[in-house]
Amino acid sequence: MSGPHTAPADAGHLDTFSYDDAIVRKFLWATMIWGLTGFLAGLIIALQMAYPAFNLAPWFSFGRLRPLHTNAVIFAFAGNAIFTGVYYSTQRLLKARMYSDALSRFHFWGWQAIIVAAALTLPLGFTQAKEYAELEWPIDIAIAIVWVVFAVNFFGTLVRRRERHIYVAIWFYIASIITVAILHIFNNLALPAGMLKSYSMYAGVQDALMQWWYGHNAVAFFLTTPFLGLMYYFMPKAAEGPVYSYRLSILHFWTLVFMYIWAGPHHLHYTALPEWASTLGMVFSVMLWAPSWGGMINGLLTLRGAWHKVAEDPVLKFMVVAITGYGMATLEGPTLSVKSVNALAHYTDWIIAHVHTGALSWNGFLTFGMIYWLAPRLFQTPLHSKRLANAHFWIASFGIILYVIAIYSAGVTQGLMWRAFDETGRLQYPDFVETVARLVPMYWMRVAGGSLYIVGMVLFIYNILKTWKKRPVTYAVPEIKAAPLARKYVAPAAPLPAPVPAGAWARFVNLTWHRPLERLPITFSVLTLLAVVVASLFEIIPTFLIRSNVPSIASVKPYTPLELAGRDLYIREGCFNCHSQMVRPLRHETERYGEYSKPGESVYEHPFLWGSRRIGPDLAREGGLKSDLWHVRHFEDPRAVNAQSIMPSYGHFVRNDLNFDGIQARVDAMAMLGVPYGDAINRAPELARTQAREVAASIVAQGGPQGLERKEVVAVIAYLQRLGKDIRVPAPNTVVTGGTRTGSGARP
Amino acid sequence: MKLSDIVSAAGLSWYAEVALVLFMLAFVLVLWRVFKPSLKAKYERAARLPLDDEHCEPPRNGTV
Repeated sequence: MSGPHTAPADAGHLDTFSYDDAIVRKFLWATMIWGLTGFLAGLIIALQMAYPAFNLAPWFSFGRLRPLHTNAVIFAFAGNAIFTGVYYSTQRLLKARMYSDALSRFHFWGWQAIIVAAALTLPLGFTQAKEYAELEWPIDIAIAIVWVVFAVNFFGTLVRRRERHIYVAIWFYIASIITVAILHIFNNLALPAGMLKSYSMYAGVQDALMQWWYGHNAVAFFLTTPFLGLMYYFMPKAAEGPVYSYRLSILHFWTLVFMYIWAGPHHLHYTALPEWASTLGMVFSVMLWAPSWGGMINGLLTLRGAWHKVAEDPVLKFMVVAITGYGMATLEGPTLSVKSVNALAHYTDWIIAHVHTGALSWNGFLTFGMIYWLAPRLFQTPLHSKRLANAHFWIASFGIILYVIAIYSAGVTQGLMWRAFDETGRLQYPDFVETVARLVPMYWMRVAGGSLYIVGMVLFIYNILKTWKKRPVTYAVPEIKAAPLARKYVAPAAPLPAPVPAGAWARFVNLTWHRPLERLPITFSVLTLLAVVVASLFEIIPTFLIRSNVPSIASVKPYTPLELAGRDLYIREGCFNCHSQMVRPLRHETERYGEYSKPGESVYEHPFLWGSRRIGPDLAREGGLKSDLWHVRHFEDPRAVNAQSIMPSYGHFVRNDLNFDGIQARVDAMAMLGVPYGDAINRAPELARTQAREVAASIVAQGGPQGLERKEVVAVIAYLQRLGKDIRVPAPNTVVTGGTRTGSGARP
Repeated sequence: MKLSDIVSAAGLSWYAEVALVLFMLAFVLVLWRVFKPSLKAKYERAARLPLDDEHCEPPRNGTV
């Protein structure tokens, strides 16, 4: 390693090449188009929560459009923004054109095709029911292929680079590419039960752990680390000075990569997840505060000596607010991960507010700042209007403030109302809908805030379009000259540091052993991979393999074929977006819903449907609470039964015929996953028809309409009436809408 | 005998302590590497990478 320093034969030779900016421009347009689309989808679902009549059709209802909004803003808007910045900065930092223009184009068009597929399938009700991983298996395979193409193109560029040192931004890109691939593949392992239907390989507790291992790290490795890479490149560019501390950025990188991957279980506090796992998630989440703020401070202090520029430069304004938003979200995240805070915040709008603080400011504003900086360079003409950009900044900032104030208030209000007891020790708001109706004014305020953010977005697109119009007839393509890297590492010829002493110990302390690592991105990547995988296995292996983590309950049996069909309809409509099925062991929850949920109850739940937000009440103990007829009436028109309800109408359950013959494939798939279906494996449709006739008969007996035995509604009712029935506990101390109390009130 | 039987019987309560020690070690290694005074110049040069990316560069064979 420390042999004689011979100069390579071609030391004086310079390669001539150019950067591929056409691909950057493509991604830039995609970012803006999908950004507007995703924001509008958000506005629509915000309106639906404020005024349920905006649920115009089955495909245009909250449960189906909410995943469309989240997928559009995360993977379409933020995704294309990442690619814009990565393709621009990687080529320049590595002094190399992208490895293959064809692969770049395949990546671009493949990613856009996936977005279009998502935009078509989600409103049609094709979903895996796992948050941010809703897309069905054929699209998941397409995502994996396109991601691998991106990775080949990216690592190919790394290999061909002409700059020895790999700048820290690239480290963040490498970590993101590797980790997103792992997360995507392992969380989406599923058994297909049709062209656009599959069941997660995991069930219950394990599925929940995998999902939030994925879900939290989608935030970490899609919305945080790639954007940090962008920050470390574009912030110095905009501030025209190097990053405050390069050493801090390295520390920032390794600590984030080591810690983030552990934090997922904080999404499952007080659920049926084993407590050791959720405590581990909490501890690592709290520790994450330190590196995150290290990064924030590093970003902000990059402006040292340049603060006066912030007042006049919209790019810097956007970036300063973005980084401040990163700081606020990463202080709040650890706070929310503390169990006692989480007990109040979980299932409420507080989480939605937290996400939007991060997304609207950190991801949104960093993207806007980056594009305002990039547009004049990519279109080779000055920005059309700085004043418009400043207007965008102020309007969008005001929009964020309105949005988050409204939704923080909504979250805390609802959380406090759920846990409020009156002086006699009873729930103060026993009727769930009271805690929803109180929030509607705040939902309107969110609509106003979100609309302002969209107005800003329209100004932004107009400004960039006007800039693009002034572009030259043909873009100048500057020729870049740089020397190729020698095949073997050559130490500096000029003044050497102290001569490298001999001996193993000396080589160790002088880091001679580390030098080869630095020029081999592959080794670096493997180290990153190791950091991520080791942490994952420490949480995942025990949860999967230690029996005591999921004690089985003998009375818990698989769903009947009809109930399974009903569950699939529940998934199709996205009911889990508003209804949890997880009673936490907190007094106000057991008072309101009944016995708390056990891990053994969801051993056949492929996928788990614990939910993450209660816009409606928890349904884990729903079975038997209401009559079958009540459910029919409620689906037809929720407000006829419950005047203040904001639930969409599901009249199509009553109109649509149930596909009985399709149930067999579903049952077979479940059986293949190990659910003991026994007899039903061969005669699922027959069993389903028999049960459907029973449910339909009971609806008629209760004074309801005839002829529902062929309709979807009987399957959904069969499913809902089954929930919570398997564990035989004394009648829960439940309050039926209207305030009548049943049960003894004596809870353990 | 299934894998889950073996793992269940293995008594892995020391798992967490091992993780703590490993991660602490990794962290100390990173810290030490980052703040080593002899690498200061290298990092200062690296920090300027985004700023000198537009123009022609001298041969880089000989630099870290």
